[in-house]
Parts: sequence; structure tokens; C-alpha cells
Amino acid sequence: MPRPQRSPITFTIDGRDVVAPEGTMLADAAKVGDVEIPVFCYEPKLGAPVGACRMCLVEVEGIPKLQTACSTPVKDGMVVNTTAPKVKAAQESVLEFLLVNHPLDCPVCDKGGECPLQDISYGWGRGLSRVAEPKRHFTKPLELSPLIAIDRERCILCYRCVRFSQEVAEDHQLVFLERGADTYVGTFDSHPYVAPFSGNIIELCPVGALTSRPYRFRARPWDIEGGGTVCTLCPGQCNVTHTVRDERVLRTLSRENDAVDDGWLCDKGRFSYQAATAPERLQQPLVRDADGNLQPASWDDALDRAASILRASGERTAAIAGGRTLNEEGYLLQRLLRDQLSSPHLESRIAPGPSRELLAALHAPALQATVPDLEFAHHVLLLDIEPQEAAPILELRLRKGARRLGTKLSVAGPRPSALDPRAQHVLRYAPGGNEGFLKALAAALEGGDVSGPAAAAGIDAAAVSGLADTLKAAGEDRVILYSDALLSGPGADESARALLRIAAALSLSGEDGAGSGGAGLLGIPATTNGRGLREAGVLPDAGPGLRAVAHPGRDLPGIAEGLAGSELDALIALGVDPIADLQGRAAWRQALGASHLIAVSSFLTEGVAGYAAVVFPQEAPAEQEGTLTHPDGRVQRARPAVRRPDGIRSGWWVLAQLAARLGDRTTLHTAGMAFAELTAEVPFLAGLTLDEIGGKGVRWPTLAEAATWPKGTTDLEPQTDATVVPPANGALRLARQSSPWRIPEVAASKALRFLVPSADARLAPADAERLGITEGSPVALSVDGTEISATARLDSRIPAGTVVAQAGVPGGGADELGGAAAGGIGLVEVRSA
Amino acid sequence: MTASATPHLLLDGIDEPGLNTLPVYARRGGYEVMKDALRRPQDGIVEELKQSGLRGRGGAGFPLGMKASFIPAGDIDKYLVCNADESEPGTFKDREIMQKCPHRLIEGMIIAAYTVGANKAFIFIRGEYMHQADVLEAAVEEAKAAGYLGNDILGSGFNLDLWVHRGAGAYICGEETGLLDSLEGKRGNPRLKPPFPANQGLYQGPTLINNVETLSTIPVILGMGGEEYAKLGVERSSGTKLISVSGHVQRPGNYEIELGMKARDIIEGLAGGTTPGHRVKFWFPGGSSSPVLLEDDLDLTYDFDTMAKAGSMLGSGAIIVCDDTTSPVDVALKLATFYRHESCGKCTPCREGTNWTLRMLERVEAGLATPMDLDRIESVQNQIMGNCLCVLGDAMAMPVSSLVKKFRGEFEEHLEKKRASEDFMLGFDPAAGGHVDTPIRVVA
Ligand SMILES: Cc1cc2nc3c(=O)[nH]c(=O)nc-3n(C[C@H](O)[C@H](O)[C@H](O)COP(=O)(O)O)c2cc1C
Ligand code: SF4
Ligand code: SF4
Ligand code: FES
Repeated sequence: MPRPQRSPITFTIDGRDVVAPEGTMLADAAKVGDVEIPVFCYEPKLGAPVGACRMCLVEVEGIPKLQTACSTPVKDGMVVNTTAPKVKAAQESVLEFLLVNHPLDCPVCDKGGECPLQDISYGWGRGLSRVAEPKRHFTKPLELSPLIAIDRERCILCYRCVRFSQEVAEDHQLVFLERGADTYVGTFDSHPYVAPFSGNIIELCPVGALTSRPYRFRARPWDIEGGGTVCTLCPGQCNVTHTVRDERVLRTLSRENDAVDDGWLCDKGRFSYQAATAPERLQQPLVRDADGNLQPASWDDALDRAASILRASGERTAAIAGGRTLNEEGYLLQRLLRDQLSSPHLESRIAPGPSRELLAALHAPALQATVPDLEFAHHVLLLDIEPQEAAPILELRLRKGARRLGTKLSVAGPRPSALDPRAQHVLRYAPGGNEGFLKALAAALEGGDVSGPAAAAGIDAAAVSGLADTLKAAGEDRVILYSDALLSGPGADESARALLRIAAALSLSGEDGAGSGGAGLLGIPATTNGRGLREAGVLPDAGPGLRAVAHPGRDLPGIAEGLAGSELDALIALGVDPIADLQGRAAWRQALGASHLIAVSSFLTEGVAGYAAVVFPQEAPAEQEGTLTHPDGRVQRARPAVRRPDGIRSGWWVLAQLAARLGDRTTLHTAGMAFAELTAEVPFLAGLTLDEIGGKGVRWPTLAEAATWPKGTTDLEPQTDATVVPPANGALRLARQSSPWRIPEVAASKALRFLVPSADARLAPADAERLGITEGSPVALSVDGTEISATARLDSRIPAGTVVAQAGVPGGGADELGGAAAGGIGLVEVRSA
Repeated sequence: MTASATPHLLLDGIDEPGLNTLPVYARRGGYEVMKDALRRPQDGIVEELKQSGLRGRGGAGFPLGMKASFIPAGDIDKYLVCNADESEPGTFKDREIMQKCPHRLIEGMIIAAYTVGANKAFIFIRGEYMHQADVLEAAVEEAKAAGYLGNDILGSGFNLDLWVHRGAGAYICGEETGLLDSLEGKRGNPRLKPPFPANQGLYQGPTLINNVETLSTIPVILGMGGEEYAKLGVERSSGTKLISVSGHVQRPGNYEIELGMKARDIIEGLAGGTTPGHRVKFWFPGGSSSPVLLEDDLDLTYDFDTMAKAGSMLGSGAIIVCDDTTSPVDVALKLATFYRHESCGKCTPCREGTNWTLRMLERVEAGLATPMDLDRIESVQNQIMGNCLCVLGDAMAMPVSSLVKKFRGEFEEHLEKKRASEDFMLGFDPAAGGHVDTPIRVVA
């Protein structure tokens, strides 16, 4: 969709001529002329203005009544007065009214010192109260949710929080109850307001009515400093500002970046800072002693021990990077493996994915869609992705486009999505049917045989053709948003080829001149910096800059096999726990049991605690320094907001030290030097500096250097028939659900712990009935003798023959079910337990 | 002009038994105008409505023809909404129309919908009007059965579905945009204007919204011709108007008058004046929201412009008469209680202003105030007026302010008397009204 283009106009405000884009609301346009118009309810991020608070009344020449500046678009020649006696009187009136029922308990209010109501009262108020009447009283404060407290007395009923819930997050939970002066904010039936994005209302509230329970009474605005960085907990990479007091993060706020987060955060990003000061966080290196116990060790001892393991394992070493690993760390890790240890066995994905040439084609700059493209597209197709899990913040962007611009959505995948109700087409195919589905869609767009591959995916061919027709008829700006899971497992390459055919059939590439630049693919990796790590060379078949390597290494199952056998001896796990984070836990237990594990981790998760020979404590997100790459190619800077605790060192330093002990002669002294080395090795980042990246990041696909991106495959012909999803035959097909709350940082944050997912298994009511399973009853899921227990949830949105099991729960959940199920295609026996 | 010369258009034969049924209405010539209208080009009808000069009868007095011409042409979903919320204290004219002559309203709505190209119409009726809603629903069924509603009405190719929607009892749902939100199933709060309903109304579609009386007058206008209708009444206040007279008069009720009649002829002539021995002390010319006028104003002519010039308004045409036994303090307190209760709470000046005013008037009533508080009350009314999102806030501020201004002496006298009385302060809780606790479940 074409982005709004606004031509500049000239209007007059308080005697000054000001040039501003036409149609901008007066409240915003005034700022261009250095005039501040006070507002409370106005917040463009929330959509159309509501005109409720009446704080922004101004005089517009030619209109007898005062106008609300928040809802009056500027026009050429408009003459505005914000200081006329009439305006002054209105401003004083509104402020006096707002304080009629406001408790004025500023000295004990968290908002005091950073409160718009305080500031505007000082700036525009009369400074004298004429109210002699009693104020309304409420029980205070109440827990609106475990994360948010509400002081209803302080509320000025500005509508912001309610609009957020209703019109941005669309969780429809917050409402106004009662009427007139008795109105208050609450939820239906007094249920706690628990939703993935609930914390945003704290930041939106212009008074101290909504406060963060973890932050309440922890600091005053004059005690704190802000540290801007990037949230490294998911690939959404929202920009944040940490509130710091005495070298401790006490709060996380959004640092608005329209191109990334639109000024919102999810609750994971907002509240999990607590994990950094949790008692379970590792604060020093650990080395396993002769009795098999992990013991605290000095840095030198730990590094020496790790180096000796690596020296011995040499080319029989493998490395996996994940989680919050930064570009510099990824680069140094692959250098350590390839240069010092001569090993090619590297991986940064959580399951095998497409090969190098296909990755190169998928991430080609011309085919790359951006986050804002999701909003302005004519049609967005979501393929096997639940944004709420993969990168929660994208859900808000998709909802915004759909709600405000009429962007159409379609959702295809084996599981239901929170966005289904907004979708034009909802296609549900069988778990493991990705390849078949993609081939069917490609065929439908190209005019080939749809029914064969559709049947292989367990989906109706007509539904696929219907989707194809809609996509063809949609406007040119079409975006496909997909997850790593779409292109993983044994059929990854075939799936990737099919996706590229779809992209070609829809002319998603900017190169062929068809699109307006708003079309493309946007793949969301399974880990925060998945894209950056791939581009830094943490892949079995590609080096830095995705260049080809002479001898490709093993894929993940190959690494596990090698470690379990005698081909591999040691594994470096950087920010990833093979057992907690990867699929096929049984295989990984076996692998780690037979080899040496060197881990960099913040917590003693299952694999680290049970198997690591050496553990290096990892920096917390707010301590990290370096760069990371957003899924849309934006290189962003992580900048430390607080000092590391004394016992902790940076990841890049650990890797550099290990390299030095193994004979590397280059010396790195700062993260910046590591970045410089990375840019020297990666042609499309050549010359990029940290200063250029700055606070908002730089999308490398827009740089001239992007021309050096390796050429990807052009041969997209399918090489095999689509893998046929096995008939369920009484068993159920397993689909994994990966809760956004599964990361250890959530479990370690006191405030967020209540969100740690429980082991649910969701299935269609028909299957449940057949199997004698009832809602909430205990069930057992088993594959090849491995069994997990779960709680049954009946969900009519799940197609018959499928069971969706929660992964990443304490005890493993769906990930525990190894064997074939690990790749996604697999049958599980489900029975009442 | 004398009262007897008043032509009867809307109240013509209103008490005929069975007029609420289709056969009787049809026998009296009902639906003939509609049949003719469905064969006419739409812009011709709009033109005629403009010529009639009819101003909206719901309170704001906006010209009907002009409003209809604002509805954009084109093949989009458009709506017609009849505002039958009639909750303004003192107003009960729409009730009589709906109860006794529902078919004229339906006929008017079919013509209006045809004129603006709306295929869906709603009557939003005040929840307490249960009997009237039943009558309307029965009439709608009759009209459907006769082929006046539904698809391809009388072979004209025009389709119209009509629903009767019962309100849930909120005055603010009479405000047109609050009504639309309520009709959509939301909390009944007024919307920011622009956009006006004519452009983005119900479900974001262009919507013509008019009062019951306004819509019922359409068949009358087309029946006699717009130009002919415009000859009734006076300049800029054409036609006849239903007046609900209540309060201290001997014959309260609805009267149809030609606009421009002298107020005294309505109150003392038609409604029989106050009981003998009493005088009119003050009167509301246009419902409880209009500033009060005094006995001296009785010789003004009753039309939109004269009432406005006198500092009040014609509003919905509800005249409330208060004789010399009435205490303006009581009336002000009652008004504030009503508007404080009915304020939706969306915008600051009304939500806080009505509440604060009521609290202050309670103190005045209890004698716990000084003349300075009266200044404060007046000043607060000024702070409300013109600053609100809709005009409910003004609807309290205007009459309260007029009472305090015009009867300042009596307010002060009341304070003196109360202070001197034996039960001064007895039973008055200065903290009352400050407590509005409501439990929220506390999470473990
Ligand atoms: C608080 C408030 C209450 C109102 N109540 C009614 C009502 O009950 N009936 C009505 O017709 N108009 C009412 N109105 C006026 C409507 O907003 C609107 O002007 C009217 O329905 C337009 O119809 P008309 O042009 O036919 O008069 C009310 C306005 C306000 C501000
Ligand atoms: S709680 Fe805060 S954001 Fe919500 S309405 Fe009240 S003042 Fe506004
Ligand atoms: S004036 Fe009163 S009723 Fe109207 S929007 Fe404001 S609060 Fe609601
Ligand atoms: S900011 Fe304009 S009305 Fe609230």
C-alpha cells in the first residue's frame, strides 16, 4: 500500500508561521513551531483521537468554539492561538476539573517527578484549588494483574489504557465500568488483566494510576538514569531503555523505534530484567570436579580447563550458538572452530534448515520485507508462524495494519493462531505437511498440479487454490511472514525451493521491478539473533558473509550422533542448552553423556547442570555489548545499561581468551574491535561503523554493499515429491507449541514466573471424545517408548488428527518426544492417564 | 393568532381508535405519500424537504433537508436511524406519536431511507417505552406484511429492513453518536465529531439520524408540498411543532402549535395556566436543558430564533412551568442530580463539573455555603459550557447557571434561612458522595 505522502503547508500559531505536513494534528504540528499544546488522552499510537480529556482546546480563527488540537488537522493558512484568554481559561478549567477527584498524593506516588498531570498542572494550571468537596475514594492499590497495580483514585479517565486493550492489543479485557464521575477502569468480572502486552498500559498512563508492581516504590525519577539498548530476548529485538539505579536495572521502558517496535514492548521484554538479579543467576565460572560436581572456579582455571578440553578434541569439536548470542560472539566462535580447531561443525539454528545457496536466495536484499511492510502491505501471508511466540511485537504491527489500513491477513499452518479471527483465509494442514503445503501453493500460483502435494500435506486442494487466487488478486505489496519451523527438518531444502517459487510467482522481489518495494519475505528465526549468527558464519555450510566453505560440517542430528559415538568429543554451547532448547532431548542426553560440554550460560538449565565440564557465566541482556541483526536485516547495537557483576565477563572476551590459549595471535581488547573484525570479513557489512548504527540501527540490505550478497540458487525445480504426512490411524500427529514464556529469564523473574507455561496438550473435541479424554484431565503422550504427561485442553480450532503439545515446559514437554517426532512429522499415542 | 386556529397535522385524528393499525391509518390516506415518493427521483424529494424549511425536532434544530443532502451518493452501506430515546425531562411528544400513530413514523422512515439510499433502518427507542416499542413492533410487522418493508418495495426496486431496538436506559444514548455506539453494542458514549454521522455513522457507514417527530413530518410535507408547508409558522421556524407542556399548569399535555405562537397563548391558553391564585415564576422553554425564562418573557413568540435571542432555546419543545411555590434551589439541585447521574464520564468538564456542581448545591441546600459558593457555582458552569465533547455538560450548566443568576437573591435567602433554622446541619454528611468503592478481586 502506498505510504501516506503529506505535502508541507504553512499555518500560523501564536503569531509564528510554521511549516508542517498537511493533515498532521495540530497538537503535533504545533511542536514544529516550538509551541506545546498540553494533551492527556491524545496518543497517535492508539489510533484515531477520542477528544475525551479536553486539555488541548485551542482557538482556530474563523471557528467560534474552541477546537481540540488533538483532532484538528492543520490546513494551509490556518491561524491558531494557544494563548488567548479564552484558551487559557479552558486549560485552567480542565485542569481544575481533573483535580476535583485526584488525590494529589504525589509525594508517595511512583509517577511523581515524571508525571504529565504534574507537569501540565504546573505549566498550565491555576495553581489554586477551589474544591472544598470530598473526593471519591477507592480501596487502593489493587492488583489489576500480578504485574500491574491500579490506584483508581488517581485515574483521570483518559481512555489510554482501555484503548490499548481494545484497539491495539485487541485483547478486549480492560473496560470502563460504571458511568460519569463513578467511572473506573477494570475488567469484566474482575478477572486479572493478564495478556502478552499488558505492561504497555503502565507506560501509557499519564498519571500514577497504573504502576508496575515490580517497580513500585523502588526509585524516584531523580534517583535513576536511562540506558538505551535492544531487548535480546527474542528476534523482535525491540528497542528499550532500562531504568537504572545504583548499577541495577529496576525497570524497562520502550525506546520507540517505528521501524522495529512502534513504541511497544511485550511483557517478557518489560519485566524479565529481574532475572539479572535473581539468586539462581550464575555469577562465576564453574568447573566439574573429579566427583562430578560443578564447583566455583577462577576465570583462569576455567579457561585453562576449557582450553585443554578443546586442545584434546581439536577437529572433533562442535559448536552451537543460540539464545542471545551477538554477532561478534558468533563470528569469534566460528573463527575459533574453523581456524584454531579446524572443525566445520557449527550450527546456530535449533533444527536443520535450508542449505547455503537457498538461504542466500531467501535472504536476498531485493526479496527482503521489513517490519513496517507488514503494516502497509496489501496482503500478509503467515506461514507456520504464531507471531505471539516467534516475535510477539510483530503481532501488534499486524493488528495495526489490519485494523487501521485494512491490510488483509491469511494464516496457514498446522496450529491455530491468535490472528485467525483477523484472517481472510485460515488454512490448517497436518503437522509435518509444510513441504506439501508449500508445493501445493506454488503449484496453485503457477497453474500446476495442486491436488498431489495438497494431499501429501493433508489439506483440501480447493482451500489452497482459494488462497492462491486471493494472493494473485491482492495488490502488489504482498508479504510472506514465516518461521524457521516452516523450512526445517528433512524436507527443508525442498520447502525452501517451493517458498522461492511462491515468491517468484507473486513477484515479491524488488528486483523485477514489479513491487513498490513493500513486498517480500520476512523469515523469523527461532532465536534472537538467528539472522546475525547465520551471516556471521555460524552454519555448517557457510562462513562469514554466507560464503561457501570447502568442507561443510555436520547438521544438528549429525552433531548429536557424532558426540554420542566417537566421531566428536566436545561441544561448545554458547547461550544455548542442547537439552532445554533443542528438539530430541533423549538423543542430546546421550550425546552430552558421552562427550565434554563447555557452556556459556546464565542459568543452570538441565543440560548445563547435568553435563557441562566448564560453565562460563553469561552477561544479562542489559549488560551485553555488541551488535545483532534483526530478521529484516537491521543491524542494531546492544549497549550495556549496567556494569557486569564482578564475576562475569563478556562472551567475546571468553572466546578470544580461548582462542589465545589455543594459539591465536590476534589480540582483541574491546567488543568494538571484534565488530571491526567482523565487518572486515563480511563484505556486505564492510565499512559499517558503530556510530552509523547508532540508536536506531541500519538495515544493511539498503546499503550499497548489499550488492556483494552471495547469489543464491536459481534452480527451483522440485527434486522429489512432497513427503506424505502419514495417516493418523488412531494416533495423533504431533505439533509443537513454543510458548513465548519458556525462556529461563521468565522463570527467574519473580514477577513473570506465574506465566511459565504448563504442559498442555490441545486436541480437537472429536478426538478427545474418541479417546475418552475430557477437558483438564491428565493425558499421556508417547512416541517410541518415550512418554510425557500433560493436561488435556479441548480446542475446536485444532483439526482432527492433530495434537498440539507445549514445548519448553519444565520437564521438557513436547521436546521430550524424540525420534521422528523431533523433525515435526511424527505420530504420538495419546491416552487418558 | 388564537389557539383554536392551530392546524392539526401530526395530531390530526390522533385519538381515533385503531389509528395505530395499518387499516385505519390507510383509510385515512396513510402510505399514499410513500407510494408516490417511491416513484420520484431522490434529489427532488431532498429539494422539497429543503423548501419546507423543517428544522430537526430532536433539540438541535438542524434543517432536515440540508442534513439529508449531506449523505453521500453511491453504492455503499448507508443507514437511517430514528432517535426515539426521548429522555429529556419534560419531553413526551414522541411517545404519543409512536403509541398512537406509529405508521406515520414508518412511512416517514421509508421515504427518508429511499431518499438517501439507506437499506437498513433502526428505531432506537428509550427502554422505558415498553408499550410504545410493542406497538411499533406490531406496526413494523404490518408494514412488512403489506410489502412496505423488505425487498423490492411495491416494485420500486428499493429494499429496506427496519428494526426496533430498545435502549437500556441512558439519557446520553439520545445524543446521536452515543446512540450509534450503543446501537453497535458498545458503551453508549458520544463520539468525537467530525466525522459526522452523515459521513461515518453506524458501522462507519453514512447515516441519517433524526428525531421521531422530524421523520413523522416527512409524509406531511410531501403530502402538502414543501412550499406549502413552509408557509406555516414564521421565518426560519416553519411548520407546526408538538409541544409537551408540564409542570404547574392546569392542562398538561401535548399540543400541536404553529411555530411563532405567543408563549402565553400556549401556557395560559392551551395548557390553562397556573392554578388560580398563582403566577408563573419561571419556565423552561425547551426541556430541562434550556435556560429558564421568566414571567415577563411569556409574551415572546415561541420559535427557534426568538427563544435563542432571549438567551434560551426551543430545544425539543418541552415547556416546563414552575409557579411561585417553586424553590429555584430545589430545581437546581434536581437538575444537577439528573445530569450528574446521566453524564457518561467520557469528557472531563462534564464528568467532573456535574459532579462538583451537585456537591456544591448539596451544600447550598444544607445551608453550609456562603454567597461566595454561589459565585463558584456560576463560575464552574462557565467552565463547563463550550468545553465538552457533547452538549450534555452544557445542558446542566445552562439552566443551573440561569437559575443562580436570575434568582441569586433567593439562593442567598435560602442560605440565611437554613443557617438560622433549628435543624441546620442535622443529618448532613459532609463526606457523602465521596465514597464510590467497588471491589476488584484481589489476585493471590
Ligand atoms: C444529551 C443529549 C440527549 C439527546 N437526546 C435526544 C433524544 O432523546 N431524542 C432526540 O431526538 N434527540 C436527542 N438529542 C439530539 C440528538 O443528538 C440529535 O441532534 C437529534 O437526534 C437529531 O435529530 P433531528 O435533526 O431530527 O432533531 C440529544 C442530544 C444530547 C446532547
Ligand atoms: S488508568 Fe491511567 S491510562 Fe487508564 S484511564 Fe486512568 S489515567 Fe488513563
Ligand atoms: S459532555 Fe458529558 S455526556 Fe457528553 S461526552 Fe462529555 S461526559 Fe459524556
Ligand atoms: S488531548 Fe485533545 S481532548 Fe484529550
